[in-house]
Amino acid sequence: MADVQNQMILRDPQLFYWILFPITFVMILTGVLRHYATVLMQSEPKKQDLKAIREQRNLLHGISLRQNLHQLPFASFLSRKNHIVAAYKRGEYLKDPSLVGQSAPNPMTDPAGMDQMMGMLKNNMAMIVPQTLIMGWINAFFSGFVIMKLPFPLTVRFKSMLQSGVATRDLDVRWVSSLSWYFLNLFGLRAVFNYILGDDNSADQMAAQMQQMQPVAGANMFGPGADPNKMFLAEVENLEVAGNQHEWVLNGVEDRVLSMY
Amino acid sequence: MSLAEERELLITPIVPENVVHNTKILENIRSLTAPTLGVAAGILGLESLTGFAFYLAGSFLVSVLILLLVAGGSPKKYFRSQTDIWTHEVFGTTSLSSFVLMWTLFYNLVRA
Repeated sequence: MADVQNQMILRDPQLFYWILFPITFVMILTGVLRHYATVLMQSEPKKQDLKAIREQRNLLHGISLRQNLHQLPFASFLSRKNHIVAAYKRGEYLKDPSLVGQSAPNPMTDPAGMDQMMGMLKNNMAMIVPQTLIMGWINAFFSGFVIMKLPFPLTVRFKSMLQSGVATRDLDVRWVSSLSWYFLNLFGLRAVFNYILGDDNSADQMAAQMQQMQPVAGANMFGPGADPNKMFLAEVENLEVAGNQHEWVLNGVEDRVLSMY
Repeated sequence: MSLAEERELLITPIVPENVVHNTKILENIRSLTAPTLGVAAGILGLESLTGFAFYLAGSFLVSVLILLLVAGGSPKKYFRSQTDIWTHEVFGTTSLSSFVLMWTLFYNLVRA
C-alpha cells in the first residue's frame, strides 16, 4: 500500500449499465409505487355522528374566539365569551353528558383508536417491505465487487459497511460497492420525488421514518382517551384569562392611517 | 416577545400559509439547484473539499439570484428571518444529499 490515495482500479464500463442504472431505476420506481400504494391504502375517514361533530366544532369555536380576540371590540368579545363559557360549564355540547366524571375509556379498546393503529401499521408495512426486498436484492446480486469511487474521502470505519463482501485490506475506503450506491439513492432521491410526485408525496422512506419519530402533537386532540368535559373546562379557564388581556386591534387606527399619508 | 412587538404583529398579521408557501418555493429552488451543482461538480472532477467548497460557492450564487430575481431585491417582504434566503435548506438533508448523489454519479461516469 505505497500510495493508497492514488490507487487506480480498471473497471468495465458495463458496470454502470448493469448495476448503477438498474439500482437507480428500481429505487425511483419503488418510490413511485410506495407513493401510490400509500394513497390507495388510505382508509376513508369514518363518518362521525352529529353529536361528536357538535362537540368538536364548539370546542374549536371557543379556541378560535380566544385566538382572534383582538379583532373584536371588548363588548362583543365579552358577550360571546359569556355565552360560550356558560354553555361549556353546563356541558351543553357534550356528546354524552352521562359520561362526565368517569375516567376516559381505554384507547386500546376504543374502535376509533383501532382504526388509527391500523393506518400506522399499513404505513409501516409499506415502508419496511420494499426496503428489505431491495437490500436483499442488491446483496444477493451485486455484492463482492467495487463499482465506484466516491469523490470524497471517508474514515476507515466505513470500510466494513461500504465495502461489504470485498475482502481487500489495503483498498482505499473511497472505492465502494453497490450497497453504498443504494444508500446514496435512499437519501438523495427525495429531490427527484419532489419533482415527480409533488410536495406531499409519501415516496421517501427516510422522510417517513423521521415522521414516525415525532408524531404530530395537535392531531390527536380529539383522539381516543381525551376527556371532552375536561377540555371544555380548560378552555373556559383559557378564555377567562385571555379576556383580561384584551386590546382591540382598531384602537387608535385613525392616527395610524393618518400617519401613513 | 414584548408588548410592543405583539401589538405590531396584531396590526400587521402574518399569514402562516403564505410563510409556508414562501419557504416551499425556497426549498424547491434549492432541491433543483443542488443536483445541478452536483452534476457540474462531477463533470469538473472535483474531489473532497474542493467539491464541497464548490457547493458552497454555488449555493451562494443561487442565494444572490434568489435575492435579486425571486424576492425582487426586497426580502423583508417575503421572509421573516433575513438569513432564510442564505441558509435555508443549504445544509438540509434533501439538497445536500442530492448534491452528493449527482456528484458521485457524474464523477464516476466521467472519470471511470
